[in-house]
Amino acid sequence: MLMKLSIFAGFCAALALASEPSAIAIHNARVFTGDGAALDQATVVIREGLIEAVGRNVAAPPDAWVIEGAGLTVYPGLIDGLSTWGVQQNAPSGPAPHARGPEDRPWTTTWISAADLVQPSDRRIEQFRSAGFTSAVVFPTRGIFAGQGSVINLAGDKPGQMVVASRVGQYVSLMSGSFASFPGSLMGVIAYIRQLELDAEHYRLVKTAYEKNPRGMQRPEYDRALDGLLASPRLLLPANRAVEIKRMIAFGAELKQPFVLYGMVEAYRAASELKAAGIPVLVNLRWPERARDADPEQVESYRVLEARDKAPSSPAALANAGVRFAFYSGGIERPRDLMRAVKRAIDAGLPYDAAVRALTLSPAEIYGVSDRLGSIDKGKIANLIVVKGNLFEDGAEVKYIIVDGVKYEPVPEPPQPAPAERLPTGGEDR
Amino acid sequence: MRRPGLAVLCAACAFAAPPTVIRNATILTVTKGTIPNGSILIRDGKIAAVGTGIEAPAGATVIDASGQYVMPGIIDCHSHIAAESINEGSVSVSSMVGIEDVLNPESIEIYRALAGGVTTANILHGSANSIGGKCVVIKLRWGKDAKRLLFEGATPGIKFALGENPKRAGSPSPSPLLVGRPLRYPATRMGVEDVIREAFLEAKEYQALWREYRDKIARGENAIPPRRDLKLEPLVEVLEGKRFVHAHCYRADEILMLLNVADEFGFKIRTLQHALEGYKVAKEIAAHGAGASTFSDWWSYKMEAFDAIPYNAAIMMRKGVLVSLNSDSAELMRRLNTEAAKTMKYGGLSETEALSLITINPAKQLAIDSRVGSIEAGKDADLTIYDKHPLSNYAKVQKVLIDGEVYFDRDRALSEQLQKEAEKQRLLEKEKRQRPQAGARRPS
Amino acid sequence: MKRVLLFAAALPLIAAPNGSFLLRNVAIHPVAGPDLPNGSILVEDGSIVDVGVRVAAPRDIRIIDGKGLHAYPGLIDSATEIGLSEIGSIRETNDVGELGQFNPQLRALIAVNPESEHIPVTRANGITSVITLPGAISGGRGAGAPPVIAGQAALIHLDGWTWAEMAVERSAAMQLIFPTLQTRPARSGAAEGAGPAISYNDAKRAYDQRLRELTDFFENARRYQKAKAAHSPGFKPDLHYEAMIPVLERKTPVLVMAVRERAIRDALRFGREQNIRLILAEPRDAAKLLPEIKASGFPVIAAPTLELPLEDDDAYDAAFTLPSQLYKAGIQFAFGSFGNQFARNLPYQAAAAVAFGLPWQEALRAVTLSAAEIWGVADRLGSLEKGKIADIMLTDGDPLETKTQVRQLFIAGRPVDLSNKQTRLYEKYMNRP
Repeated sequence: MLMKLSIFAGFCAALALASEPSAIAIHNARVFTGDGAALDQATVVIREGLIEAVGRNVAAPPDAWVIEGAGLTVYPGLIDGLSTWGVQQNAPSGPAPHARGPEDRPWTTTWISAADLVQPSDRRIEQFRSAGFTSAVVFPTRGIFAGQGSVINLAGDKPGQMVVASRVGQYVSLMSGSFASFPGSLMGVIAYIRQLELDAEHYRLVKTAYEKNPRGMQRPEYDRALDGLLASPRLLLPANRAVEIKRMIAFGAELKQPFVLYGMVEAYRAASELKAAGIPVLVNLRWPERARDADPEQVESYRVLEARDKAPSSPAALANAGVRFAFYSGGIERPRDLMRAVKRAIDAGLPYDAAVRALTLSPAEIYGVSDRLGSIDKGKIANLIVVKGNLFEDGAEVKYIIVDGVKYEPVPEPPQPAPAERLPTGGEDR
Repeated sequence: MRRPGLAVLCAACAFAAPPTVIRNATILTVTKGTIPNGSILIRDGKIAAVGTGIEAPAGATVIDASGQYVMPGIIDCHSHIAAESINEGSVSVSSMVGIEDVLNPESIEIYRALAGGVTTANILHGSANSIGGKCVVIKLRWGKDAKRLLFEGATPGIKFALGENPKRAGSPSPSPLLVGRPLRYPATRMGVEDVIREAFLEAKEYQALWREYRDKIARGENAIPPRRDLKLEPLVEVLEGKRFVHAHCYRADEILMLLNVADEFGFKIRTLQHALEGYKVAKEIAAHGAGASTFSDWWSYKMEAFDAIPYNAAIMMRKGVLVSLNSDSAELMRRLNTEAAKTMKYGGLSETEALSLITINPAKQLAIDSRVGSIEAGKDADLTIYDKHPLSNYAKVQKVLIDGEVYFDRDRALSEQLQKEAEKQRLLEKEKRQRPQAGARRPS
Repeated sequence: MKRVLLFAAALPLIAAPNGSFLLRNVAIHPVAGPDLPNGSILVEDGSIVDVGVRVAAPRDIRIIDGKGLHAYPGLIDSATEIGLSEIGSIRETNDVGELGQFNPQLRALIAVNPESEHIPVTRANGITSVITLPGAISGGRGAGAPPVIAGQAALIHLDGWTWAEMAVERSAAMQLIFPTLQTRPARSGAAEGAGPAISYNDAKRAYDQRLRELTDFFENARRYQKAKAAHSPGFKPDLHYEAMIPVLERKTPVLVMAVRERAIRDALRFGREQNIRLILAEPRDAAKLLPEIKASGFPVIAAPTLELPLEDDDAYDAAFTLPSQLYKAGIQFAFGSFGNQFARNLPYQAAAAVAFGLPWQEALRAVTLSAAEIWGVADRLGSLEKGKIADIMLTDGDPLETKTQVRQLFIAGRPVDLSNKQTRLYEKYMNRP
């Protein structure tokens, strides 16, 4: 006991000097390995940034810093499934170039990788790490084909240290430009995506043939948009309403690459179609809300009201149907709100285990990095959190965050600025 | 010998919906006269029998239509409902886009059109382009998803537009919101013709390129297929007669222009849409074999509509053109029956002729007349039941059936409305309870 | 061929324009009283002198055989732009919607083009007089504060060599377009994403501001009225305020365009506070405020029946049933087309309401006598009664049914040519070899 105390004291001192131990052991804690039931009185051993061992009969190595885990729970580090934390994209300067058709590749930057845009100084990295997030799948989000996302760990001084996987999927949005520039409509965007896919396929054919034997052949025109599309392991397509979900399921079947749908507000109405299609989805935690400054006399449609009421039950519906899904922050600015949003899903019927999985192993699986991330298993990257209380509950307290085997303590949330002038709500309807 | 047959029959019965009989109605078949007190037997979504003295088979659902009128479900040849985009107006030729990609089966417009007696609609791209996007024919199967809206086997279409609308983007806009937007060719009717001819020239070249490729393959040669161009493929389909051209047009001169261009490239215009001056060139339209789908009495909203007359449909019909009336409006769509009545006032068409403008004629124009457009045995059970003669302004739609299934029932509609309002009230109250009051009691 | 000559048959009647005749052998539908299955109408100098089963007439009067047709009062459309607007999309042909917020001095009557094609087209279906409105019915003229007081609407006959001859009421009402609370900027044409949404707070502020400006305008008008009456020193005539005096004196009603619930409610309150006579125009949300409208005593020019419901969740027949709801609530109302293109279909707006619960007699009244009452001309128009102007239509059946033909039309006792550009094009192209 004394030895442990002294090591503990040594650990605190060491923290003040910001030097890293060669190994960390979290002893005798409740451990959510990440797939299935939690292990009680288990120990996790971390060495050189990787998980060395986890289990009930695992002993802490003598050179490890030990965290006494009695009364604490260890979870795999949370992963934001679709994020912009750490990615700064400058607003486009000047008016968008005028596109005369698909051949002008409007709003297309398939070749961009988020890994090249990461700014380690982004405040959100520290802010959300303190809430328990150890990774995020960050994407450029500007345009129709915005570029590829990367899985990054939320700690490090240089982007290169943070990147776990640099090109995990192409972010696609269905934005249409103004009336005057192609595409000017939803129809137009869909047609454009379809044409780009066909062009990419043709490009690949021609390039392959040319590379085999260029003599006598017209060379293919260099087109980095197509190269970027061909290099995308999967596409992310947006879908919120049930109509959109079904539309994207049908459209996605035309694509060469696998695809993932993001949004999912009305997933509660399309869970069986998603299951049948076998596609994974990303669920936006920013549940729809009535606009703050809405006209109190404006009564929204039943559809809108119902979606607001039922959206938090979408995850439960997906879990019940056996659809693989991950959560994402959807631009929620405050970590506390993010946790509350997850709690709402649990209150609406999502099993607790499924909620944890949706922020850990599921996103890792969806992006193809589950062999190294997403659960507390031997050999995986040491990303985990030590929590007092139950994660997502109001009283939960994150004690330590371990990213790539390095221990961090949470930084308190900045004070909330005074809320903007509140409008009369509720009983003031005239 | 009999027993196995019966067993098979019974097995089939277990899967199929029970037959339906609509009884004691005045049946306006449109093609085979009027039956004053008749019945319609429906089996497996089809009209099995029409006439008097039809016995309801055991287990059949009976719809008592005493004192009521049954006519074929109305077919609207020009509609933009149930779609989340209407125009891709940024380019002169937008044939790469398609309405089918953006169908919205949950649009309330479908329900309202159903409540107006419409069972089939030709959903068209808008008129912002000389050559617009692809179109699709749907049945108004309210409650089903987008795939199930599609009219199975209907020939796909494409929209052309002539006249003021496609040339609007060629002139500076007076609207302050559109200042500085680049001008889009064409700005004149001459340019409209040019856009169409250029596009079809390109399409012919594309067609030749692919023919050449297929020939090479057939000869056993190695070849890379040409790049697929989604803009030109629908135009090749037009050349091959596999895709119908529905051309929005107003003035007589542009109608003539289009018929000539079509002849030049060897394809047919399937329907001229609006064709408000069609009456001036009815002879030429009939000779080409194009159909005309027009308004009953719209006029004066644009210069090209200033010579529009409510006798248009009647004149064209008398001169041998296949004519239908359409709505091009989610509102007008609900009243095509009373619109048809206007051709009796303006032009003296008979009741049957008037009704054919919204039933068998548009069915023929869309080449779906083997399935719908009249009440005949073998056709789909797409039927509308009115409480009074449909050509009367006092008539209300009571029920609408599609494929033998009741999709609209006025009696049920009224009680469903009350239920929905109650449910909505409940949701509103729930939300109010959950909203933080002014002067937040919840800590921020 | 028979059809084509229909219009030729009307010609002999046009030859005798002196406004006096005995119309015999017609089924008479006076609207103000019970129908007469067969009777006569005596017209002298453009006025109805007698209506009855048997009518004594001067010996040398021209006799018109009604051939058993049906005589109805000419129909009245309570909201059009006829004479002021020719082709909707061509600005040069439109004279509605002047620039400026408060223009009570503008007079629609003097801008009426008596040669407008809308006149012969509309009257061919039995409409003999219309209210024509100075304010644009849809949208304004461009940037800047939208118009509030648009000017003086006129009630005109659809016949006459000049607007002076067409005038029935030169200043039938002051048109007021009530301010609306805009949380979305108005869209122009097909421009998508026409600007960000405006917050409710900002929109409410703007709305309150505009209501204040309207109230201030009325206050200023009252001050002017007092100064004028008192011959105050330094008093200078002002056309704007001068035009407000009949409104303040409750001689001229204010036709207030208020479509949504908030606007209707606030307009009613405004009318009460200002102690003016209101006529509510196009109150599409009226069903939500029936008791308030009834209590106000103000009549309504009903929005077109043939309209889509306003909200997704509204009953599919919400617009169809509204007239019968007005009727059941005891609210006086008339129908208006709110446009030119379909003014000829005014009777079918009424018929659609009948299909959904409005008694037929009330529907007919709403396009005849009720309209006349609302516009204060019931002593002259709206029914076939002694002393009224001889605006008479002869039909071969129920005028609210589409199939019915108007066979003859009289305005102020003058037989009116039922042909128009459209009938002429019909004949021409029907006869193309």
